Amino acid sequence: MSSDHIRNFCIIAHIDHGKSTLADRMLMGTGAMDQRTRQEQALDSMELERERGITIKSSAVSVEHVYNGKTYELNFIDTPGHVDFHYEVSRALAACEGAILVVDSTQGVEAQTVANLYKAVDADLELIPIINKIDLPSAEPERRALQVEEVLGLPAEDCIFTSAKTGQGVPELLDAICERFPPPKGKQDAKLQALIFDAKYDDYRGVIVYFRVMNGSMKKGDRVRMMGIKRTFYITELGKFRPQMQKIDEPFDAGDVGYMVAAIKTLDDVNIGDTITLDTDPADQPLPGYQEPQPMVFCDFYPSGNTQFDELREAIAKLHINDASFTFEPTSSEALGSGFRCGFLGMLHMDIIQERLERESNVELVQTAPTVTYEVQQRIKGGGTDVIHITNPADLPNPSNIIEIREPIVLAEIITPTDRIGDIMKLCEQRRGVYKSQKFLADDRQILEYELPLAEIIYDFFDKLKSITSGYGTMDYHVSEFRRDNLVKMDIMVNGSIVDALAVIVHREKAEFRGRHLLKKLKQEIDRHLFEIPLQAAIGGKIIARETIKSVGKNVTAKCYGGDVTRKRKLLEKQKAGKARMKKIASVDIPQKAFMAVLDTGEG
Amino acid sequence: MSLIVRSAKNPAPKHTPIVVDRQGPENPPDPNDLASFRLSEPLGSVYLHLPFCFHKCHYCDFYSIVEPAQTPGQPPADRQAAFTDALCGEILTRSEQTAFHPTTLFAGGGTPTYLRPGLWERLLQTLGEVGWIGCPGSTPEFTVEANPETVTPELMHRLAAGGVNRVSIGAQSFDTTSLKQLERWHEPESVPRAVQHCRDAGITNLSLDLIFAIPGQTLAMLERDLDALLALQPTHLSTYGLTYEPNTPLTAKLRVGQVRRVEEDLERDMYELVLDKLEAAGFEQYEVSNWSRVPGTGSGVSAAALTQQSKHTDPTPEARGPKPGGRFRCRHNLAYWHNHDWLGLGPSAASHVRGHRWRNAPNLVRYLQDAPTPPITDHEHLPPDQSLGERLMLGLRLREGLNAGWLLGHPDLREHQRQAIDASVRLGFLEQADGRLRLTRKGLFVADSVIAQVL
Repeated sequence: MSSDHIRNFCIIAHIDHGKSTLADRMLMGTGAMDQRTRQEQALDSMELERERGITIKSSAVSVEHVYNGKTYELNFIDTPGHVDFHYEVSRALAACEGAILVVDSTQGVEAQTVANLYKAVDADLELIPIINKIDLPSAEPERRALQVEEVLGLPAEDCIFTSAKTGQGVPELLDAICERFPPPKGKQDAKLQALIFDAKYDDYRGVIVYFRVMNGSMKKGDRVRMMGIKRTFYITELGKFRPQMQKIDEPFDAGDVGYMVAAIKTLDDVNIGDTITLDTDPADQPLPGYQEPQPMVFCDFYPSGNTQFDELREAIAKLHINDASFTFEPTSSEALGSGFRCGFLGMLHMDIIQERLERESNVELVQTAPTVTYEVQQRIKGGGTDVIHITNPADLPNPSNIIEIREPIVLAEIITPTDRIGDIMKLCEQRRGVYKSQKFLADDRQILEYELPLAEIIYDFFDKLKSITSGYGTMDYHVSEFRRDNLVKMDIMVNGSIVDALAVIVHREKAEFRGRHLLKKLKQEIDRHLFEIPLQAAIGGKIIARETIKSVGKNVTAKCYGGDVTRKRKLLEKQKAGKARMKKIASVDIPQKAFMAVLDTGEG
Repeated sequence: MSLIVRSAKNPAPKHTPIVVDRQGPENPPDPNDLASFRLSEPLGSVYLHLPFCFHKCHYCDFYSIVEPAQTPGQPPADRQAAFTDALCGEILTRSEQTAFHPTTLFAGGGTPTYLRPGLWERLLQTLGEVGWIGCPGSTPEFTVEANPETVTPELMHRLAAGGVNRVSIGAQSFDTTSLKQLERWHEPESVPRAVQHCRDAGITNLSLDLIFAIPGQTLAMLERDLDALLALQPTHLSTYGLTYEPNTPLTAKLRVGQVRRVEEDLERDMYELVLDKLEAAGFEQYEVSNWSRVPGTGSGVSAAALTQQSKHTDPTPEARGPKPGGRFRCRHNLAYWHNHDWLGLGPSAASHVRGHRWRNAPNLVRYLQDAPTPPITDHEHLPPDQSLGERLMLGLRLREGLNAGWLLGHPDLREHQRQAIDASVRLGFLEQADGRLRLTRKGLFVADSVIAQVL
């Protein structure tokens, strides 16, 4: 098909604004999928994705639509909808010429919609705004269209009113895609440059790479090179999703979107954003914008219960084949033994990985409290300084050698109902936020811009935001820089011994407050022992907070007669076995839950 | 294994053939047949479980059945008669399997005194027929548990005449709000009345049960309860910190927040009050929750009764010796704590014979169907380390503790246990004195924690 009749586009929407339902409806509108074979949300293929109602990995589907008597190929490139997957969104956008902007007719414009719209504008995409969910009684499509014009600067009359649920407006939308979106640009006779915008692992075929040919052409049998990671593969299959996989033996030309199978064994060999070129006739330059995956949030996983270290290693390695965007390396803690330090794109990503490990490999694990990467400038032997990155408070160098500690700062855009703005500002201030700007979004909503330390939002910032705004507040953020601050390591001592796995890096001014609450929480989690247990928080040897766990007052079974003997013995043995599963540090049995006590910010 | 080829040059060695035991290996003991245990001595303790109650108390997790009281002139709506037949059948069957020479019998429940007097008569008659009671020259300790509301002069006379010489009355509290918390259906006044009925019938060895740490209870309330208890001049006392057993209405209420557990520190103070007050009143604590009166202190028991008691020999080597309080200790319960053998009869009753533990299924319907051989459940034969663990667990609950030389020289005692014992001695929870290893007073309060360490 001539590239004049190809349209590559994506959908930009906030979570729950109906992107996946709309995608399904478009597939039905073009006959690619009928109601009977339709499984809810065909594009979200992972079980977990469906349960959480979010799209974790993007996909691409090619369908045909007849407009004005001509057949068009519409390539719909799905984008992940969560803030953790920024970079993947930007790569998906780079593969498109157009974007459909979905606005919920009952809720209006949300933070992520705005953030992704900016990205789409940056990527030079043509936009079609649609006002969705017009079937709902509380829908206010005209008002939302005006809001789109006011806030986003897109003419209100360009908006298409749709209901992905009933299908209303979808034929008009398909026509508009053919009419308003431009055909793909790209030089057919140039050297091959194909953008990898997604990759998935298939148990039988290895890695399946989603690509868009930007320039040149490629075909089955070509030997191709990944320019970023400098590895070569032999293409064994090219094809498209319609939405089922369909092999295509003809060459893929500039503008084409499809999938590639090339006997790639692990997702480690494929990086999103990388450029595919011909090994025999390579392009001079890769496509712009490529970045190595950058994990921002870190935590440790340790085996627990019946799970052994080797089992955990196997489970993590297996999952990593499916998701190369998290990192892992062996680590060890005096308190928790051998485990893995893992890096994630964000908090949601961390939760997903933890859940998938437990669900798919059936391992039991202890997760330590998440932390961010810190840049530490330190004095080195023989004079001079260097900068190291640490992801674990226990790895901080000797305080006398530290010149400064820098932490990641994010630029956050928070959209909140106007009447909650005071509470949101208070929350940001509590989290060491720096106010940047405030903009009206509509009569009842505002966009707040704050600089916030990433470490302050990885705990429960989203939950707080949601509860303050009764669920209406939304946020988008990206890491902007590393910035120096008065950061210190706070050690936690249990019964006089420092417990490495409980150490945290905190702002000096908030240390006492955090320390007190951390100890209170620990006190709740650790059972009384036969002796009194002092709990202390210390900075550089100076005690800044203290709690005491009293010794057991009374613990004696009242009745133990003939019929009670067996049960009583089993109870005591269970008690003993429960203790054996805990970590014994300085004669104190510390339950695994206690290691998450660090998460309690104490804001109530 | 090497393969040796037999040939003329290499004939099979001529030696005597291996004697094959034609009987095969010894059959493992079968709880359904006591003969299979090949006991060298008669069984010395018998427990009878009488499951009927007129009401189920909210903290109770014993196997019990609530059936309505019989209306005069109506056919019996309950299964008491059928049950008594089945229990007597079980007694007869068991008595044929092995020799019995009970020094203690104990009827628990349920509410044993809720069994109708006529049925009790039949039961006592059967016990006499098999020679478990009423043998010339021996008077076993025979205890019956009683709910104060069900103690009648008629029943007490029948029991006394039939050989019952000890009654354990569930007083629990003398405070109406506390009794209400426990859903205990008796009035405070019925306790002294019950005590009097027992004494009038000639049963003077009386034990009273008290529960403390009842939701809402204060130290002052407990002190009043203890005073009321002591005023009745019992020979024995059991005081229990209220236990939230799984699957009881009380525990369900706790879970949903309808009742509030007494704070641990207050419960400790309460236990301390019990210890102090009972000691001052002339009672000797011999187990975590049990006290016996030291003869010569207090009054209300005739000298004749004391003399009668003193005739009994102490069944346990641990309990021998000049222990003035030993006279009124419950010898049946001591058999449990000394890990002696006993047989339990009736639904849910547990047994312990030669290292085997089992229980009759807690199911009256099946008990009646399968009579006289009750369905057995939870049969286990403990490996040596667990068996020693039970000895530790039970022995340390006794104030006399365990024979230190025996324990520390025991081949099944592991190194970590030895270390835990040493550590507990160092921390002052255990003490070694007079050849005994026992809990200190400090250790008594946290006995479970200490025992869990050394198990």
